[in-house]
Amino acid sequence: MTRMFMKSKKLLTIKTLIVFILISFNFKNISMASTYSEDQTINIAKNLRCLICQGQTIHESNSDFAESMKKYIRGELENGKTNEEIFSSLVEKYGQWIVYDPGISRNTLLLWALPLLLFLIGGAIIVKEIYKKI
Amino acid sequence: MIISQLGYFSLIFGLLASIFIFFNSLIQLKKNNSVISDKTTGLIGFQFFFVFISFISLIYSFIISDFSNETVYNNSHTTKPLFYKITGTWGNHEGSLLLWLLVLTGVLLGFIFKSKNEPNNYRLLTTLFHQIIVIGFFLFVLKTSNPFNEIFPVQKEGLGLNPILQDPALGIHPPILYLGYVGTSIIFSAALASMISNYVNKNWAKNIKFWILFSWIFLTGGILLGSIWAYYELGWGGFWFWDPVENVSLMPWLSLTALLHCIVTLEKRELFKKWTIVLCIITFALSMVGTFLVRSGILNSVHTFANDPSRGVYILTFLFVLVLLSFVIFIIYGNKNFTKKSEIFLLSKETAVLINNWFILYFLSVVLIGTIYPIFLDVILDEQISVGPPFYNKLILPFLIPFVLFMSIGPSMKWIKTNLKMGAKSFLVIISTLILSFITVYYIGEKNIFILLLFIGFFYLLLKSLSQFRDKTKNFAQIFSHTGFSLLLISILLNSFSAKEIVKNIQVGESFILKNEKIIFKKIAVEKEKNYESIVGFFEIHDEKNKTINLLPEIRIYNEPEMATSEASIKTSLFKDRFITINIIKDQNLFNVRYQHKPFMIWIWISTLLIMLGGLFAIFRKNKEVNI
Repeated sequence: MTRMFMKSKKLLTIKTLIVFILISFNFKNISMASTYSEDQTINIAKNLRCLICQGQTIHESNSDFAESMKKYIRGELENGKTNEEIFSSLVEKYGQWIVYDPGISRNTLLLWALPLLLFLIGGAIIVKEIYKKI
Repeated sequence: MIISQLGYFSLIFGLLASIFIFFNSLIQLKKNNSVISDKTTGLIGFQFFFVFISFISLIYSFIISDFSNETVYNNSHTTKPLFYKITGTWGNHEGSLLLWLLVLTGVLLGFIFKSKNEPNNYRLLTTLFHQIIVIGFFLFVLKTSNPFNEIFPVQKEGLGLNPILQDPALGIHPPILYLGYVGTSIIFSAALASMISNYVNKNWAKNIKFWILFSWIFLTGGILLGSIWAYYELGWGGFWFWDPVENVSLMPWLSLTALLHCIVTLEKRELFKKWTIVLCIITFALSMVGTFLVRSGILNSVHTFANDPSRGVYILTFLFVLVLLSFVIFIIYGNKNFTKKSEIFLLSKETAVLINNWFILYFLSVVLIGTIYPIFLDVILDEQISVGPPFYNKLILPFLIPFVLFMSIGPSMKWIKTNLKMGAKSFLVIISTLILSFITVYYIGEKNIFILLLFIGFFYLLLKSLSQFRDKTKNFAQIFSHTGFSLLLISILLNSFSAKEIVKNIQVGESFILKNEKIIFKKIAVEKEKNYESIVGFFEIHDEKNKTINLLPEIRIYNEPEMATSEASIKTSLFKDRFITINIIKDQNLFNVRYQHKPFMIWIWISTLLIMLGGLFAIFRKNKEVNI
């Protein structure tokens, strides 16, 4: 009887977990403001690599390259472009290397899936360990 | 010149000592003595002494600016202040490997002293395995990275030290970090030895726990120093960027943290033996991977003081040999000795530790895969991608919520079996958590439900940990570390959400406004130091209460090598840091000024110190029966 109860409780935990994961994947960029602000420029610049620097973002860097990129982003935002459009045009020009968010594509599927897969395997091992026959 | 020679020959003697100790341990193992001979202990002492002499010689060569030594020539200059001459010793590839070797031999000596009451064959086997690592690194240093190479003709002046390394925090960052990093080597050697000598039990756990805590505390400290340095020196006010070199220090930290919780379970309940051994091996392997990634120059990051493929190949091969060796030993001895079975109940501390390890290993896999995946993709498909903060945020943040919830209730679990009761106290904690979280979210004006959930989780952990101060059987180690961890998460979250910044191009005499503050650019002045000249900007901040704060950011032009850096000026208060940097704009009479409010910065450092303090409590508490 107690075992049954425990199991249902465990199921509940797993369900809660799944809900958490679902929420979190949706949470980014919910608010896509149509009016452009400096914050939006900063958010985009924070997600771009300064190609001539060592491990710095466009936002952090003061290099000529970074400054001209910031100008470009402001210009595009003023023209009413969305974040996605700006990112994809930059990726087209400079390659995926420039964006800090690897995104989900054929090349990065494993990158995202492997850790999650390992998490599931880990969970399975623990469940097995607790409910094993002695 | 002679001192440099002395250092070199001292290294050779050290290597000879290693080989001698290796065979000596083998012979002693055959004899099956009940006490480890004074000869072995003496030899280990001598080995450390030789490396120490060698290290001191290198420091001395740096102090007297002996430019017949190639390492000194490449990394120092006569105009450097004494402190940076000394720290320059390990601010380069060759010197830092010598430091690595020093710690490596040092921890073995420490281990021999701290394990006097352990079985003799366990101590000898640990020595034996450790010598394999030591010999490997001796050969590495002597063959690929000799710090005592001579150059001829002798140069009059050195090339200087990279200006961003000329900094007090970064001066002591490598030694502290290495104590943690290399400390894991003795855990590895001891784990292999304990398997063969059939000593994976309570006593072994007690013995090795010290070294796990030792490495963990220093690694935490090393990471902290690195972050503080990045915060004020790199000029943009960030303290963590998921940079590959940061990641490689975080990985062993994560697996050490998992191991820390596991070893206590082994100590109290003799459970998870195999898993503990695996974690010991993983931890050291990760330290080696870190060394490989940093030293091979494969990484594109802010730490680019090493790039030589032959070095990378050597470390990778060596790592492969060590992992193979431990794998073979694990296959042969692993199954034989760990047959003890016992039941694990769902509501028990054992389960809590399992869940802890489950999540931490998941976080570890995220960091590991995020760090090495781009390298593989580049090599195999010739495609370059960047894996930055968005990747880590998406994969780690959602899992943090269940993690901190488990972390909150875990410590109140008991060994074997627990009955969870909801008392009035737990109810009070939950209510206060909700109130605090709602107030915080309202205050920072965040409407996202996910952020609210994060705050609820973090505050719950904080209040739950604090409430344990009133328990009868309290464990200060756990309370301090968990409180520190929750404070760290809360400060990071607040910091990232309510930071404010403004960037302006202005002339001297102009001013601008951020929130309710007026920032006035008063004047500039030129100052001259021994190793640099600087342009200092004088800024006056009038805050909302009309108090005046002075900030003095600098642009430094270092002389050797000639390089300009921007030095931030920071005013720390309990609730926020005021952070300002200036840069010159070419061909114009303007300065680029970046002024930031960084909330709760000081709490990020304080909470990390609290985490370390917990570790210290764990080391110094008497062997009472206390829960983790």
